[in-house]
Parts: sequence; structure tokens; C-alpha cells
Amino acid sequence: METVTLTIDGQSLTVEKGKTVLQAAIEAGITLPYYCYHPGIGVDGSCRVCVVKVEKMPKLQTSCSTTCTEGMVVSTRDKDVVEARAAVFEFLLLNHPLDCPVCDKGGECPLQDFSYSFGPAESRMDFPRRVFDGEGVKADVDFGPTLMLNRNRCILCTRCIRFMREVEGDAQISVADRGNGSEIATFEDEGVHSLMSGNLMDVCPVGAITTRDYRFKSRPWDNPSVADTICTFCSKGCSTSEWIKAKPEWARGSSLVRVTPSYNPDVNGYWMCDIGRFGYHWVEGDRRLRQPMLRTTAGTLEPAGWSDVLHALRAKVAPLAAAEASSVKVLASAHASVEEFFVLKKLAEGALGGVNAVSVLWSRSEKKQPKATTFVVPVTDAPNVNGARDLGFAVGAGNGGAADVSALRAAVEAGKVKALLVVDPAPAELTGDFQWVIDARAKGMLPLLVVQAVEMCPLVAQADIVLAGAAWLEKDALFTNDQGRVQAASQVLSAPGDARPDWQILIDVAAAFGVSLGYLSDADIRKAIAAAMPGTPYASVADVAFSRPVAAKHWLQASNPSERWKWDFMFQDLPPVKGHSVQTEQGFVEGRVIPLKPVG
Amino acid sequence: MAYEPVLTKFVKEPNCYTLDFYKAKDLGYEALRKAVTTMQPNDVIEMVKASGLRGRGGAGFPTGLKWQFVLKDTPKPKYICCNADESEPGTFKDHLLMERNPHLLIEGCAIGCYAIGAKVAYIYIRGEFYHVQKVLEQQIEEAYRAGFLGKNIFGSGFDCDVFVHRGAGAYEAGEETALIESLEGKRAQPRIKPPFPAVSGLYNCPSAVNNVETLANVPLIISKGVEWFTSLGPEKNNGPKLYCVSGHVKNPGVFEATMDVSLKELILGDQYAGGMKDGRTLKAVIPGGSSTPVLLPDQIDIPASFDAVAKAGSMLGSAAIMAVDDTTCMVWLAKNLLAFYRHESCGKCTPCREGADWLLKLLTRIEAGEGQMKDIDLLLDVSKNIGGKTLCPFGDAEIAPVLSTIKHFRHEYEAHVREGCCTIPAPWRGTRAPALAGHH
Ligand SMILES: Cc1cc2nc3c(=O)[nH]c(=O)nc-3n(C[C@H](O)[C@H](O)[C@H](O)COP(=O)(O)O)c2cc1C
Ligand code: SF4
Ligand code: SF4
Ligand code: FES
Repeated sequence: METVTLTIDGQSLTVEKGKTVLQAAIEAGITLPYYCYHPGIGVDGSCRVCVVKVEKMPKLQTSCSTTCTEGMVVSTRDKDVVEARAAVFEFLLLNHPLDCPVCDKGGECPLQDFSYSFGPAESRMDFPRRVFDGEGVKADVDFGPTLMLNRNRCILCTRCIRFMREVEGDAQISVADRGNGSEIATFEDEGVHSLMSGNLMDVCPVGAITTRDYRFKSRPWDNPSVADTICTFCSKGCSTSEWIKAKPEWARGSSLVRVTPSYNPDVNGYWMCDIGRFGYHWVEGDRRLRQPMLRTTAGTLEPAGWSDVLHALRAKVAPLAAAEASSVKVLASAHASVEEFFVLKKLAEGALGGVNAVSVLWSRSEKKQPKATTFVVPVTDAPNVNGARDLGFAVGAGNGGAADVSALRAAVEAGKVKALLVVDPAPAELTGDFQWVIDARAKGMLPLLVVQAVEMCPLVAQADIVLAGAAWLEKDALFTNDQGRVQAASQVLSAPGDARPDWQILIDVAAAFGVSLGYLSDADIRKAIAAAMPGTPYASVADVAFSRPVAAKHWLQASNPSERWKWDFMFQDLPPVKGHSVQTEQGFVEGRVIPLKPVG
Repeated sequence: MAYEPVLTKFVKEPNCYTLDFYKAKDLGYEALRKAVTTMQPNDVIEMVKASGLRGRGGAGFPTGLKWQFVLKDTPKPKYICCNADESEPGTFKDHLLMERNPHLLIEGCAIGCYAIGAKVAYIYIRGEFYHVQKVLEQQIEEAYRAGFLGKNIFGSGFDCDVFVHRGAGAYEAGEETALIESLEGKRAQPRIKPPFPAVSGLYNCPSAVNNVETLANVPLIISKGVEWFTSLGPEKNNGPKLYCVSGHVKNPGVFEATMDVSLKELILGDQYAGGMKDGRTLKAVIPGGSSTPVLLPDQIDIPASFDAVAKAGSMLGSAAIMAVDDTTCMVWLAKNLLAFYRHESCGKCTPCREGADWLLKLLTRIEAGEGQMKDIDLLLDVSKNIGGKTLCPFGDAEIAPVLSTIKHFRHEYEAHVREGCCTIPAPWRGTRAPALAGHH
């Protein structure tokens, strides 16, 4: 790495060649404000708050657009800089409504934070403010199906415009009019229609762009916990942060209130798609299975205890396998984790005649995205096709193609399968087509159906035995993304009611089939995986660190999605709480993503 | 010493804009022939450098140097972008050149292309110059037909196309990088520099942005020689120069002279603007377009050259000399100009977008007699917070009228505050409120 050495505020810094002064300052923990700069989009140099003094240069320079050079001497605290910077804050706030108490960004707003740190104490503006669409929250106008826009709050940093142009690939947002009349606009006020729209809330440094999903729902100080994990809606596996609202036991509503991307240079950069961002509601939704169920002699499904359902498995299903191993089959969705597939493999090898007893199912959907996008949302709507592949299950073309369960289907439709175990810890719509199973049941071709699932759905309604499993946010688990990267998903919430993590259920199921595995925890399974797969990326999975929700002492420590990348990767905090870093404090800076090479 | 005009000599003759006329009486593309058939591109650059020609668009940067900076070792195409946006208040010289002597500009564009290794020149013309665009396009057509543009010009193997691109009417589109953005079909907002256009300009290719009058001088240098050019005007301020004189003068218009003519002569001299109208007295002079600081009558007995005007504390800018008489309220003047800047600010950077509006509001209040003394200091402070802190020089431009009128005429500001009304309400002043972007 070529480096240059420069001095900022008397501190000698050696940085990678090509870095800007702003980047160097941020990395060194020197707080500088910025608005038009965002690490994931190109430099604009327009907001002017990042000014610094560079020795031998007559004018103040914008640090975001100034490349570090050897021997450069920079001051961020010179009197001229302090005054010029304060002046920009005065300008920025001239027309800003300062309706922080009703603004969604309040409490996690870089305009608030930096103004407190760098702005003047008072404004000298005594004219009425510029008003675009109305006063107060009346100014909130539709900005497409997922977003709202408040032009009065906009500081015209153009991050949103540049995000659409450079990342999303379709420049739907622009500025209309010019000068003081400039306003954010879309063609004929159509708003933003994009699979990436939620990122606009993240990049907007003020409360001008908010998501319909999160607006008015919570406040940063009510979300004291944030957990870093991954999204499992598709094969990409973006790193995400899950925002947990603090509320008493008896309070209604969900505790998971928002999902935002967290920076992962190898997978998703700073972004995530709306499918993952807004798709979390089912986790705490009404259709969740809260306890196991058994079909009664009267033909209805009734809640049951775990011992009852495991007894039923032992009594009704295990003997079938004992009599003829091939009469019992497994249909596992690629939403099952690496640990779960590993236990399934042991079960299949021990009691069902080998891994071929397991068919792997996933669904695919073409995502409507512009050709120019730099963030492609994959077609595979499951996180772990490669995990199944790596453990030796047949997945056909894998993420490159559709799941092929035709052999199983033919066997079921021919009445050759006496019992089918479906393992699907995802909402049914995500996994794909189960209609043929339901039809086979209706025709009496499938005598026994065991479903391990997380949501009530038509398939579950047909089951004889229902095992209530856990969503990906309710267990520590590994998923192997389409790059072959083995990634850790961390437990954020507890499974509802009597529902259990799926690895645990499957160990009990295996035991019911007479396959005793002796794993007492998910960590035990990972140890076994590591031992069984030397020389592969899985060899080190026993050491994976899982994140835990961060119980921030100060709400700010765990807030501000658009600035999270700094805390995560540059160990810097925002003003009022300078010196803190949530990540380093908690000791899990690394470990969310296992830095392994992709397999095959 | 009588100076014989070369840029505007024939502008009053009928048909002076036609190719036939240009061939019969003016350079007739002989400079282009000489350049492409007898000179290497670098010789052209060296010659322009030796002439000391300085850009006529406002900044007075040496043109030869600008061309030399255009990146040579690159597989990318290069471009000449002719700045014909001419929107600086008081400026109307490029308009005249293009309308009455278009072939001089077209020839200049072609020679410029040859010098920097470009094959295409774009003339970016101000949105309102619809009729001028028509003339230019017709005459470009004529030049193609005569073989002065197109492929293999004068059998030299040099190809050159010239296109006219009309803007949508924005002052900021005259800033060189905003012009480039606009040419690319984007909003006319400036880019951050570096990279400079010479390295990465139009379509991210090396480009030179030159003013109309600048390019019009190039064929003259090639044909009449460096010595002729340097013999005109004071040292480092050589060559023919167009001045636009306007305001309360008897005979406003474009005048061609060398830069040793004085500001005073241009305003008061009989062969130029002929002095103040109706026998009134000169009160103040804006020497180089509305973006340049005001000078007082006792400061104008200086050469109207880049260096002399700079020494007097202002700028020659686009050589748009505006002379106002003693019926003019300087607060009103500043307000009027700020209405222009407030309207034309592109809005890209914070200090200008927010500051221009604030300045106008303050000036409007003071001019209406509703201001306070502290508003005058606030004007100075807001101006200080804009000056040198914006993305492009527009910010410096918009504060010049405020700072210089307060500097020289603070008593008028104070009188407005004290008396609670305008103290110099000239009868000729319009009452129409200026049109403002956004209506906010
Ligand atoms: C706000 C602003 C407006 C400008 N408008 C013009 C213009 O209308 N015409 C022009 O030739 N130059 C204009 N300029 C100057 C150009 O940026 C540039 O310096 C010039 O075109 C270079 O040509 P020259 O070297 O031949 O003078 C403007 C500059 C600024 C900052
Ligand atoms: S809406 Fe937000 S992101 Fe877009 S320009 Fe305004 S402040 Fe910036
Ligand atoms: S100073 Fe800023 S807002 Fe003003 S014209 Fe230049 S870039 Fe645009
Ligand atoms: S962050 Fe540098 S100018 Fe906006």
C-alpha cells in the first residue's frame, strides 16, 4: 500500500495514498462535519461544511474533495475554519424548520449533532422561513410507495440524487428550480419507485426523507438496543442492524421496529434492498406458530407440548423409517441454516438411508431493477443454498437455477412416501410451491405429514404433526451466501411462546428416529461441523463470534443509521458522545462476517 | 494615434456577416489556411502564447497557457467549448461579434481545435440569443459548404466540426464547468475543481473553454502576427479589446479600442459613450460587469486594462462598463443587482444558495426604509461568509456590489435607516418587482 504522511491539527498521520483529508480525519478520530459526502457515493463538494485550512493554500478547502499529499499541513480548528464552518451552519439553518420534536430524524440527526458542535449559538435570521409544501408536518408529502418527503427540512446535500444515479442506477430524483427555490423532485411528482428506496432514508442527513414503515413509530432514545446480523431474504446475505424498541412486557406492538443495512465491503457495502428492510414484520406477526401442534382423532390441529409431538414422532413416523428407510423423506427449505442442514444430514444418514432422502427447496423471483444498478438483488429467495450444497445435499444448479424436487414429488404423488418431514423456518410464501404436497394429502397419497415451520399457512394446516421453529432473528446460525461466504446470523429476539430454535428441534427429531447426536447447543453443532470439514471455510466456524443487541448506555451510541458505518469501521463516534465506540466497547468489532474465502 | 478596429470594423455594413463579405474584406479563413497548412499545432499554441492574449471572458487568463495545459497524451477526444453564454449584466460584446462577424469566431474555433488537437468545437450560446443562433448556424453551414469546416480542411488532413448548442438561459451556465455540465445535458451547475477542464472537461475529456472574443482574436494573431498584437495596448494587456459601455450615458454601445484607453475616456469621451445624459454628473462606475466592485469618478482616470483596473481595486471582468449618475440610489443599485444574483444562483452550494437570498432580503428591507443599523453590518458579515467560501466564483461575484457600495456609500445606507425611506428615489426607476426563482 502506497502511503502519504500529513499533519492534521498537529497530529502526524500516515494514510493510504488517494484518501481525502476528510477520510483521514475521520479515521484518526478528528471530528469534522460533512453532509454532501457519503462514503458510498461520489464526492460533490457542495455543502461546504467540511472546510479546513491547508497550509500554503490561500483559500479554505473542502476536506472531502482535497486529496492528502505528502507533507500537507491541515488545520480543522483554526479560527478561520471555525468561523467559516459556523457560518455554513448558520446558512443551513436559515430556512430549516427546526421541527425536531416532530421530526423522525430527531435524536439521530447529523444536522442536529453537528450544529450543536460546530454551529453558532444563535441565528441572526429574522425573516419568515422558506416553506415548500406547508408548515409543520403538513409539509410531509408522498414520495412513492415506501417514502415520505419533507422539503422544508431538506438541506440539498443531493445525496439522495446521487444515490439514485450512482447506486440504484435510475436517476429518478432531481432538483427542480434553482438557487433558493431549489427543491427535491421526481418526474411529475411520481415519487421514488425502487427496490432500493429505503436507503434514501439512510443517506438523507436530515428528516427530509423518511420511510412510511418507520415514521412516527419510535424515537432513537426508545430504541436502546441494536443488533448486528444478516438478512436472509435472498442469497446475498446483506449485513444489517436490527433496531429493538424498549418496552415493558405488557406493552403491545412489536419490539423490532426497523432494519437498516450495516457496512460490509465484501457483500453489500452501505446498502440493502427494500425486501429485506421492510420484510421483517412477519417475525412478530399474528401468524407465528407459538407452540407445537398435533392432529387429533377428530381431525383438528390442537396445541400440544413438545413431549407429545416427539412421542407422536417416535410412535408413528420412526417405525416407518425403521421398516423401510426410503419410505420417509425430508423436504428442507434453503432457509434452514448450516447447523440445521448438518443435523438433517446426520438424521438422513442414520435413519433414512442417506442424504438423498433430503430434497432442498427454494424459490426464485426476478427483481425489477435498472440495468445500470451497482447493487444487484439476486433471484434466489433463500439464504443457504450454498450451505446445503457444501454439506453434500443435491441442489442442482444451486443459486444459478431453480430447485428441483421433481423426484420427491413423483414419489409422493405415486404414494411411495409414507411420511414427509418438511423443514421450513421461513414464511411459506418465501419458500415456494408446496401446493403439490397439499394436493397429495387431499388425495390421500401422503399418509403422514410432519411440518417444522414458523408461520401458520395452508401447508401447516394439512400437517399431522407441527413443530414450531424459530425465525433467523431468533437463533444463532450460519448461512452460506451466493459468494460462498459463511456468514453468522445472530440471535436478536427470542422465539415466541414455546417455539424453539430449529437445530434444537431437529436434534430431538433425530433422537426420535433413534439417531442420538449428543449436541447440547448450537455451538456444539458448529464444533462438529468444523471437525467434519477440515480444509474448507467451515473448518473455523467453531470460533465464530455472534453479536448481541447492544444495550447502549446512551441512546446516541446506538443510533443514527446513516453514520453507523463510522462506528463500525472507523471507530469514531458522533459528537456529544465522542470517544465512545459501541463496537469496540462490546468487543465484537470483527466476527459478524467470517473473513473466509468463497468456496468453489 | 487613431486605432483601426479589427474585430468590429465592418459591423455596420450590410451583409457583413456573410461568408462572401468575410472572404472579400476580412480574413476570409486565410489564417486557418496558414495554420493548418504551414504550422504545427504546437506552433499555433506558441504563437498565441507569445502574443500574450488573455481571456476575454472575465478572468483574463492567458489563452496560450490554457491550451498548453490541455492534456496531450490521451486516447480521448478533445474539445473546444466556446463560451457564448454572455450573461454578465452589462455585457453585450459577444452578441455583436456573433451576429455581425460570425466567421471570425468560426475561424477562431477551427484554429483552436487545430491547436489543441480537437476535432469538434461547441459554441454554447446563451438561451436568449435565439436570433444570433440562427445567424451562426447559417454561417457555419456556409463555412462547411466552402470547405472551411468538415473533413480534410485545405487538404491538410485536419477535420473540424463546429456545433451551436443553445442553453436554457442561466447566468451560471457561463461558469466553465457549469457550461460543460449543461453541454452534457445536465443542470448548469459547476463541478468541483480539480480536475480542471484541461484534464477532464466535456464528457470527461480534455477541453478548453474560451470566450467568444478570445477565440475571435486568434485568427487575427495568426494572420497579422505576434508583433502587431503586442504593439497594441500596454504590456501584458495587449491586443484589440471590446468595451460595452452602458448606464446613464449619452451613447451606450460596444467600442473597440486598445487597453490603453482610459475608463474615463470610454465613458466621457465623445468618440465613445459621450458623457452623462441630460447634463448630470457621474456618480459611480462598475468597470467590468455587475460582479466587479464599484469605482468612484476620481478612480477612473486609469487604463481600461486588466492590470490597471485590478490595481484600482476592481476588475476589468467582461469589460462591461456601467456608469451611473447622481440620481442613482446605491442601496437600490445593490438591491437590484442582488435580485439578479438571487435569481441566478444555481443553488448547488450552501453559502450562495442561502446567502444570496438573505442579502436580497436585507437589502430590500433597508431600501424600503425598514432596516436597522445592525442590518448594514449584517450585510457585511453575510458577505464575508459567502466570499471565498463557495464552490464557484459566483459567490465572490454576488457580494461585490454589496461590499463596494457599502464601502463607498455607507452614508446612503444609513440615511435609509435614519429617514425610514429611500432618500434618492429616481423618477426613472421601475416599480416592477424582480422575478425570483421559486417564488418562495
Ligand atoms: C458565474 C460565472 C459566469 C460566467 N459567465 C461567463 C460568460 O457568460 N461568458 C464567458 O465568456 N465567461 C464567463 N465566465 C468565465 C468562465 O468561467 C471562463 O473563465 C471563461 O469562459 C474562460 O474563457 P476565457 O479564458 O477566454 O476568458 C463566467 C464565470 C462565472 C464564475
Ligand atoms: S432530501 Fe435529504 S438526501 Fe436529498 S438532498 Fe435533501 S437533505 Fe439531502
Ligand atoms: S457559488 Fe455555489 S450556488 Fe452559487 S452559483 Fe456557484 S456553485 Fe452555484
Ligand atoms: S462534505 Fe465536503 S463539501 Fe459537503
